[in-house]
Amino acid sequence: MKKKPVVPHMEKTVNKIRKLLNKSKGMVLDDKLLGSLEEMCEDLGAQLKKREVEAGNLSVKNEENEESKILEEQIQEEREIFDNVIEVMGAGLCLIDKNTKIIWANDTLKEWLNLNESPVGGHCSDIYHCDVVGTDKCPAELVLKGKKGHIVQSWVRTKAKKRMCIQHIAIPITNKNSNTDNILLLTVDVTENEKMVHRLLLLQQFGEITQGTLHLDKLLHLILTCITADYSFGFNRATLFLINKELNVLNGKLAIGPASSEEATRILKEMSDSHNSLTDIVDKLDYSHNIDTPLNTMTKLLVYSLADAKEVVTLCTKEMKPIIVKDAVKDPRVSNEFRKALGVNEFVCVPLIAKNEPIGVIVADNVYTAEPISDERVNTLTMFVNQASLAIENAETYKSLEDKIDQLTETQQRLIRSEKLAAIGSMSSYVAHEIRNPLVTIGGFAKTLSRFTFTDAKIKVNIDIIIEEVKHLEKILNNITDFAKPSKPEKIDVQLCEIMENTCLLMENYFQEKHITLQKKYETGVPEAPVDPTQIKQVFLNILMNAVESMPDGGKLDVKIKSIDGSVKIYIVDAGKGMKQDVLQNIYDPFFTTKPSGTGVGLSVSLKIIEDHGGTIDAISEQGKGTTMLLTLPIK
Amino acid sequence: MTTILVVEDDKNQRLLYEQELKLEGYEVVTASDGKDALGKIQEQLPDLIVMDINMPKMDGIETMGKILGKNKEIPVIINTAYSNYKDNFMTWAADAYIVKSSDMLELKNTVKEVLAKKAKDS
Repeated sequence: MKKKPVVPHMEKTVNKIRKLLNKSKGMVLDDKLLGSLEEMCEDLGAQLKKREVEAGNLSVKNEENEESKILEEQIQEEREIFDNVIEVMGAGLCLIDKNTKIIWANDTLKEWLNLNESPVGGHCSDIYHCDVVGTDKCPAELVLKGKKGHIVQSWVRTKAKKRMCIQHIAIPITNKNSNTDNILLLTVDVTENEKMVHRLLLLQQFGEITQGTLHLDKLLHLILTCITADYSFGFNRATLFLINKELNVLNGKLAIGPASSEEATRILKEMSDSHNSLTDIVDKLDYSHNIDTPLNTMTKLLVYSLADAKEVVTLCTKEMKPIIVKDAVKDPRVSNEFRKALGVNEFVCVPLIAKNEPIGVIVADNVYTAEPISDERVNTLTMFVNQASLAIENAETYKSLEDKIDQLTETQQRLIRSEKLAAIGSMSSYVAHEIRNPLVTIGGFAKTLSRFTFTDAKIKVNIDIIIEEVKHLEKILNNITDFAKPSKPEKIDVQLCEIMENTCLLMENYFQEKHITLQKKYETGVPEAPVDPTQIKQVFLNILMNAVESMPDGGKLDVKIKSIDGSVKIYIVDAGKGMKQDVLQNIYDPFFTTKPSGTGVGLSVSLKIIEDHGGTIDAISEQGKGTTMLLTLPIK
Repeated sequence: MTTILVVEDDKNQRLLYEQELKLEGYEVVTASDGKDALGKIQEQLPDLIVMDINMPKMDGIETMGKILGKNKEIPVIINTAYSNYKDNFMTWAADAYIVKSSDMLELKNTVKEVLAKKAKDS
């Protein structure tokens, strides 16, 4: 009897396969592995066939034969073993014929490919959704032609709604004439590998991108997005804390993650539908999104003193090692407040370390999927976070540099402006005096002339024109010389409302003539301010005059005075023409004017006076709506 | 007759002041610089001096110092194109300080005021 050696031989092959597959679980298919699998399957297939044929022959020849019955039972037994092996070995198997019609598929495959009906009778492309079907790249076709088939990889969604990356390969099964009858399609789950590869790729991509990202907010978003992206680290939520060295505290900065499990499901679905690359995410990053989430708002309120490292996050920065909290309720390192704020029992804290100094902590959790956090995941996360720390450090340095540069630029501009004013001042004063003398002569003699009587009335008119023009020129010169005058303000403590009241009184007739409705609103109890009353009056006069001139058809003019934070604020609000941005930028420049008869020194003199008093002038203007001039003068 | 000494280096302006003040009924003596002025004061002993500041040879402030050193009785009106000499305390010794203008009204009024004050004091 030949039956005895058959079973052990088959079992041996099956065992070999099982061993090999167990070993290769989670590994990418390689040629060596495939080669051995192919061999074994061929062996198995051939043996099975042989046994079937033998059994068939035997049963036909000798139906009553006891031995054939035993043989049949044995074959049945072998089949069961074989089926079991196939089920446990964790690979999808599918047998197809020469026309790529499915003869048989195992349950694992049905599970993975989310098949509700038996695929037998259909085409392999119906279940695999291959995009190579019918082309010369189809592995089944290649194998049929006796060529080497290559590995096809695709993402599928399993019955358990899990995204899975599968690889499959075609293995030819030859008959005794060494012709290929059938093809075995072997499918392996490589999701974990794929994820690992992706994470490593992400690390590399992140490094490249962060080198070019110096905007801190953008960077923090990017980091947390990477941690929460489903296909990369896939944490449900991530929260970032940064150390504030000045205050010696750990501040909550940003949190990313869905606010509810409904949102989580929706985002997960969107994410898996569009398999974005990191660059895509960076491009599409919407900073306004996530900003107003309750989680983020709450995070920004979290502050922990570094002086006492009682909280798990502060402890994490002290020890500079990741801390995995498996059960927050029982963990003495986690305070009730922190646990409640985070609302999760299992989470991981990873320190942000740059140049051997802690700069913050990232807390990640799986609050919605409740997936346990593995050590392996924490390891890759730590690798990622290390790189992120350097990027944050860079961005922070860049930001502080940027702030310094802004300060410098502002100081420089201030210097340039005062230099400009000084230069204009000294030059204009020289020119002004040189011009004043001949002007006095011209105007003076013209005036003398105008006293004579002329036969021709035209002469009188012309002389008057000369007198008028000289007057106008002298007015300009007066303004310029005032501007150049280096006189220091003689400050006394006065009530600014009183000065304003006086100025308005002075202009009462002018307001009436121009149909201006003046509305004054003085806050009660505005303190006295140390100012030069004459100079300040000059400023009020200039600004009120401008306001009136911006309303040629009359209108409402509001004057408000109130005291805020140690200074008096004076608002002069007109409902006039307003100014364009380019005009607004130049209003303080000496000799800049938009008025036909203006001298262009009113506001520059005003600004100089206010600055001499340690105050500021702000102009807010909208074309067609009006202008608000805000004067701020310090009380002390 | 009240005599006014006008010290002014600009020939045309000198003429202008001379004409204008004569029209007001004053006797007008002119000088083109500080040195000239000191000589004229010796000769004429004016009742009032209208003095420019920026002048060649001897400027108005120096001249005024010398005048005041000899005779404190004669009032001086500084008439200049520069308003910033107001900050020079030397000019405080003058009886008035006016900035030149084509409108002679201020000068004329000041002359009247200063003369009236002088008459009252003496």
